Amino acid sequence: MSEDRDLVERQIGRDHFLKLAALAGGAAVLGGPSAVAEAARAQLAAESGRLKVMDWAGYGNDGGQAMFASYVKAHPKNKPQFSYMTNESDALGKIRAGQKPDLFRPYVGWVKYFATSGLVQPWNPKLISNMKNLNPFMVKAGQYEGKQYGIPADWGFDAILYRSDKVHPRAKSWGLLFDERYKGKIAWFDDLNMLVIAGLYLGHPRPWRQSDSELKKSQDFLKKKKRLARLIWSSETNLWEAFGAGDVWIAYAWPNDWVQMKAKKLKVVYMRPKEKPVAWVGMFMLLKGSPRPKLAHAYANAWSSTKSAKWLEDNYGYGHANVKARPSSSDLLRALQLTNPRAVTEPAAHLDRDIPRRAVYARAWEQVKAS
Amino acid sequence: MAITEAREPPAQRRRRRLRLDLSTPTLLGLPLAWLAAFFLVPIGIVAAYSFNLYSLDPGTHHFTLAGWHDFLHGSVYLSLFWKSVKMSLIVSATIVVLAYPLAYFLALSGTRRKYVLLLLLIAPFLTSYLLRVLAWKVILGNNGVINSFLFWTGLRSPDHPLSQLLYSKFAVMLVLGYIWLPFVALPIFVSLESLDRRLLEAATDLGASRLQAFVKITLPLSLPGVFAAFLFVFIPTLGEFVTPSLVGGTGGYMYGNQIVDLFVAGFPDWQTGSVLALFLLGVVAVLTVVFSRFLGARTAVR
Repeated sequence: MSEDRDLVERQIGRDHFLKLAALAGGAAVLGGPSAVAEAARAQLAAESGRLKVMDWAGYGNDGGQAMFASYVKAHPKNKPQFSYMTNESDALGKIRAGQKPDLFRPYVGWVKYFATSGLVQPWNPKLISNMKNLNPFMVKAGQYEGKQYGIPADWGFDAILYRSDKVHPRAKSWGLLFDERYKGKIAWFDDLNMLVIAGLYLGHPRPWRQSDSELKKSQDFLKKKKRLARLIWSSETNLWEAFGAGDVWIAYAWPNDWVQMKAKKLKVVYMRPKEKPVAWVGMFMLLKGSPRPKLAHAYANAWSSTKSAKWLEDNYGYGHANVKARPSSSDLLRALQLTNPRAVTEPAAHLDRDIPRRAVYARAWEQVKAS
Repeated sequence: MAITEAREPPAQRRRRRLRLDLSTPTLLGLPLAWLAAFFLVPIGIVAAYSFNLYSLDPGTHHFTLAGWHDFLHGSVYLSLFWKSVKMSLIVSATIVVLAYPLAYFLALSGTRRKYVLLLLLIAPFLTSYLLRVLAWKVILGNNGVINSFLFWTGLRSPDHPLSQLLYSKFAVMLVLGYIWLPFVALPIFVSLESLDRRLLEAATDLGASRLQAFVKITLPLSLPGVFAAFLFVFIPTLGEFVTPSLVGGTGGYMYGNQIVDLFVAGFPDWQTGSVLALFLLGVVAVLTVVFSRFLGARTAVR
C-alpha cells in the first residue's frame, strides 16, 4: 500500500520523463500499447518505495538513525522500513519463509553460507564511494569467489571480561570460562560459537571444522562444565545487569561490555586469551532479486561513512570497518586495537569463519543447553 | 419441558426445531472457522514440518519420521521435558495449597469486603507481565532487596550473598508461582462461593466439628475448582519460556526455551522444533481430556 502511494506521489523529473518517453517509444514499436504501459510501470516501479532493511535491534529507527541519516536525507521518499533479526538463523528462517528485505546484516561467519545459498547477490563496490575507507581485511572477508557479497560495517571481539578484584586467572586463557574455582560466577554466550571456543581451548586443530569425535569431545566438555555457568546470555543488556549486579564475575564478552562495566566503576579486565580472541564483522548483504539495489547500495554507503562510523564507536562501543573513524574513548580504542588494521586477523585474532557443518554444531549446542 | 413439547402442535414443534437447527451452525460457525483457521491449520503446518513434508531448505523433501525417532530415542529432550514437568508440578501444587486458604477465607468468612480483597489479589494483573517478572530481578539479585536485608542484619556478608535466589530453577518456580497465583485462587473461590451453605449447617446440626465438615463436605465439593485451578497453571507453565529466559539462567532452562531456540537460534531446525512443539501439545491435550473426564465424573456424582 505504501509502495503504491510512493509510486503515485513520486515526482517525475525532466531526465526521468525523457527516459520514460524513450522506453515507451521502444515498447510501442516492439510490443504494442500494453507493453508501453508495462515498460513505463516497470521503470517507475524500479527503485521506488521504501527500502526494506532487516537488521539487529538498535540499528534501525530504534536508536540507530544517525548511521543512515545521510541516506534518508538523500532519499526522503525511500526511507528505510525496518524489520528485525535476532540472529542469522532467525534471518534465514524469515527469508526462507518468504520475507523479502532488500538488505540484511549477517556476520562474517555466514558470508560463504549465504553466498552459496542462492539467496543473495554480490554488491557493486563501485557504487559505494566509502568503500576505499573500509578495512581491506574485512572487505576481503566479505568476498566469496572474488565477488563482494558482504559490505563490512560493525565489528568486535569475542574474548573474556572479568572482575580483577574478585578473579585471579591462572593463565590468560579461554579456560577461565571453565574454571571450577568460580562456579556460579561465570556467564557464557548463547551461540554455537561456544563449541568453537571449547575447540580452541581443547586444542582441536580446526575448531570451525571439527570432526565428529572432536565435536563430541567439545560438546561433552561443555556439558560437563555447564554447571559452572550461572547464565548463558543472549543479549548484552542481560549480561550488563548480571555483571553489574555482581551476579557474575567472568563473562564471554565483547569490547563494549568492558567499556560499559568500566563506566559502572567496576574493576574489570578485558582479557585476550592466549588461544586468541575471535573477531566478528557485520556484513551488509543484498538480497537476490531486490527491486531496489541502487537504494541498497546508497544505504550501505551511508553506513560506511566516517561520520556514521565514529557515531557507532562513540555511542554503541563497537568498532567500525571505516579505518578513518576514531572513537572518543581511549579505552575503546585500546580494546579494539583500532590503530592496528590487522587486529581482526592472524596473528592477533581468529577472524570468525564459515562452519561447513553449522546445522550439526547448532544441534550439538542446543543439546548442551538442554542437558 | 417434555410436557410443554407434548402440548405443542406438531407443525409448531417442527418450526421450533428448524429454528434451532439453523441457529446452531450460525452461532458456532464463526468460532469454528476461527478455530480451524488459526489453530487447526497452523497445527497441521507444524505437523507437516515435523514430518519433513514442509522444510525451510529448498529442493525436494520427503516424508520422514526421523525427527520423531531422534526425539523419542534421544535422552536430552525428554529429560528436559521431565525437568519442566517436575518444575510445573511443584509450582502448580504449591500455589494450589497456598491459594486454597486464601480463597476459603474470601468465599466463606462472610467478610463484606471480599470483593475488594479479591480485587487486590488480582491487582498485579493490571501491570505488564514482563514488568512483574523483571521486578523480581530487583528483589532476588546479589544486590537485591533480600540480600541487602541479609547484609544489613549481618546474617550474610556482602562477599557471600545468597546467589541461588536468581538465575536458578528456584527463581523460575518462585516467579511462576507469583505470576499464576490469582489464576489458581479465582476458580477455587468460585467453587467455594457456590457451595450450598445449608450442607454445612446440616453437618453442624448433626454434630460434625468444623474440621470434619471441611473434610467431609467443603473439600470434596470444592475439588472440581481445585483441579481446574491446577490445570490452569500446569498447562501454561509447562510450555513457559519468557520467565526462564529472564530469571532462569543455566539451571532454569525449560522445554519451552528449547522449542524457541530450535526455531530461531544457532541454525534453524524447524523439524525438531516442530516435533517438540507437537509433543508438548499432545501431552497437554491428553491431560486436558483426562482432567475433563475426571471433573465430569465428579460433577455427575454431585
